[in-house]
Amino acid sequence: MNAAFNVKSRWSWLVMLLIATGLLLVGGMRDTGPLTQQDRIDLITKHLACPTCQGESVYVSRAPSAEAIRSEVARQVAASVRTNDEIIGYIEQRFGGQVLLVPRSTGLEVLVWALPVVALVCAVAALAFSFRRWRTVSGGEISQEDARLVADALNNQDDRP
Amino acid sequence: MFADSGVAGTVGRALLLVGIVGSLFGAIAAISSARTREAAVTKLISRFAILNAVAAVGAFASMEYAMITRDFSLAYVQKVGSTATPALYNFAAVWSALEGSLLMWVLILAGYTVAVSFWLRKKMDDVLTNWAMGVMFIVSLFFFLLSFGPANPFVVGAAGVVDGPGPNPLLQNHLLVMFHPPMLYLGYVGMTVPFAFAIAALVTGRVGEGWLLATRRWTLFAWGFLTIGIILGGWWSYEVLGWSGVWAWDPVENASLLPWITATAYIHSVLVQERRGMLRVWNLSLLVSTFSLTILGTFLTRSGVLNSVHAFSESAIGPWLLSFFAIIVVVSVGLIGWRGDRLHSPGSIDSALSREGAFLANNVLFAVFAFVVLLGTVFPLVVEALQSRTIVVGEPFFDQLVIPIGIAMLTLMAIAPVLPWRKASGELLSQRLFWPAWCGIGALALSVFVGATGFAPLLAFGLGGFATGSALRQVVLATRRQGWRGLVGRANGGMIVHVGVIMISVALAASNSFTHSQELSLVVGKPATFSGHTFELIDVVQITTDRDISVKALVSVDGGKPYAPAITKFTKIGMNVGTPSVRTGFGSDIYLTLEPPVRQDSNEARIKVFIKPLILWLWIGSGLMAVGTVLAAFPGKRRKPTDPTSALIDSHEVSR
Repeated sequence: MNAAFNVKSRWSWLVMLLIATGLLLVGGMRDTGPLTQQDRIDLITKHLACPTCQGESVYVSRAPSAEAIRSEVARQVAASVRTNDEIIGYIEQRFGGQVLLVPRSTGLEVLVWALPVVALVCAVAALAFSFRRWRTVSGGEISQEDARLVADALNNQDDRP
Repeated sequence: MFADSGVAGTVGRALLLVGIVGSLFGAIAAISSARTREAAVTKLISRFAILNAVAAVGAFASMEYAMITRDFSLAYVQKVGSTATPALYNFAAVWSALEGSLLMWVLILAGYTVAVSFWLRKKMDDVLTNWAMGVMFIVSLFFFLLSFGPANPFVVGAAGVVDGPGPNPLLQNHLLVMFHPPMLYLGYVGMTVPFAFAIAALVTGRVGEGWLLATRRWTLFAWGFLTIGIILGGWWSYEVLGWSGVWAWDPVENASLLPWITATAYIHSVLVQERRGMLRVWNLSLLVSTFSLTILGTFLTRSGVLNSVHAFSESAIGPWLLSFFAIIVVVSVGLIGWRGDRLHSPGSIDSALSREGAFLANNVLFAVFAFVVLLGTVFPLVVEALQSRTIVVGEPFFDQLVIPIGIAMLTLMAIAPVLPWRKASGELLSQRLFWPAWCGIGALALSVFVGATGFAPLLAFGLGGFATGSALRQVVLATRRQGWRGLVGRANGGMIVHVGVIMISVALAASNSFTHSQELSLVVGKPATFSGHTFELIDVVQITTDRDISVKALVSVDGGKPYAPAITKFTKIGMNVGTPSVRTGFGSDIYLTLEPPVRQDSNEARIKVFIKPLILWLWIGSGLMAVGTVLAAFPGKRRKPTDPTSALIDSHEVSR
């Protein structure tokens, strides 16, 4: 019975995995459909910082400085000569270095990308280390009081409803 | 009006002084009661807590009185008050700037202090209670001093002022300003209670599980309000700011999210300590982090340091908050180090594939999440300090890092709820995860069928379905066994919170990935179409009040009733504020904004249309989170208090 269940369940998990992979491939690879001009403007302005705000993107901000960049991006998109990256580069040149919202991956900015990975590795390593310690040192000394508590509890287990 | 001049100010200042004295003596009474054990001193603790609360309520009421009577003798009323502000927004104007917000902090903290003292009135002779009250009073003292000193809202202003600009237009534009800040502060400030108990446990050396059990409802209460506060902030952003989003990863938002992340980690990992006696240092650290992050967040957002590293020393409260943050960290780390020997956890772990293993994985994810948010928020400061140049870290950075974390969290939410404590076998998992996994496949198939694209959103939808299956499995099994009691208690209420979180994740994934927008130039009588909907401009109207001039474009969507996106010019401040108008639906929202410039008599208007899928589920999920939190706070099926968790596992338990 048990073995039969095992085989059956193994097969059904395999089927599930295949279906999931298939669906992900179908959905993930297909075309996302045409972007409107406005969609392109939104995509680009999400990567540009509003020069006069605190950490807001041009997409989010309603400040006049953001408005100015937004209409420049709109002009560039309407002209449809430059690619998205080229438009971002152009705006960056025209409006100065601060307008890029995504930190670069050069210089000191490398840290902002690298440190989260370092943190994850450290956290996982610390957890793995703790697991080893927990499994080798099983518990500590049991005090008499603790032992009595457990014994009492085990004795009283019968009057559970 | 001038007959009242100064009364509110004088009374307010006096009451803040009373609060300072009350907290100081309260702290002295609590700590000396802990040391001397004298009943007469112990009795004083609650009285000082009441005195504090009276002083704080009185000071806040004085400020409200000054605002309502438009007492322009006060500098704060000159800054945010105006004769033209409607009554409700005028009431909320009290917390629309720094000084008033800190006064609300004082009020809520005093409220918590008196509530804790009332709740513990029969345990006031306990040393742990005394120390916890002592810590509460010391934190109160700090905030009373801050409010009396560098951020005093009762400072007398320039003479002869008879009117002011009123609060920031964005803060007198939607009713949510009445609720978002108080909710957020109830959460933020509420984290002081578990922190106070954590410090008290360390000081008294009673670092076992007793204090945890005592404070878990307080933590849940504060966490619930913090959650609601953050979500109301997102809702406000959606309804008011006009960029159609709920979250922009700006520093102020991040400051509220950080303590929420560590508190959420704590709510999970504390279960491991309760059941297995492990993670004592870690849980203490999470509570200390949560509280200190509320202070750090306030420092970051209120001191001006984010404008420039050097601005914080110019702001009056910057050095205060930074010093307080440093003291908290040093004292807490020192205490944890000092109690190192007692904090050695007696428990041990059997297998990574177990409930406790899942909670540990959860904590790794939450820790990395908090680190990413903190790093992204303070990194511009680091670059400015080291290289004297400014950079901005914004939404694309956070999205890139947080999306994988979110997917990992959904995966964990799918598997963890079915895991037993101690150890799970592959067979058991395969059995328990079978139907939840099919839910996931179903959700994935449905998303592909309705046209969703992209790996990340599809993974989110599929895992969302899987995790919903796991959560509902727990609730269904529990209600089948215990009837309505299967809905209450931490495990069951927690699963309802999970379903809410999943709805929010799915709504965010959908709205971030599949929003389409288009700008339409509308002329009266000539409908335009976008994304299968027709938009027809019916009229452009102008409404003038004392406060503002508002131009509205009446736009009928699909021939239905007109929506009215507007641009409002606040005449006194000279600022234009757009107000979106939203047609809400279960499938998608149609979000309309009016784009400048607008002329009332032109019969034309430029509107921007956003089609945003599943946004409504964000609010439904939030409501479910709130309901789940309340259910989780009720005691569930009582385990016998001495139920031996280290005893052999019941064989029925395993095969279930």
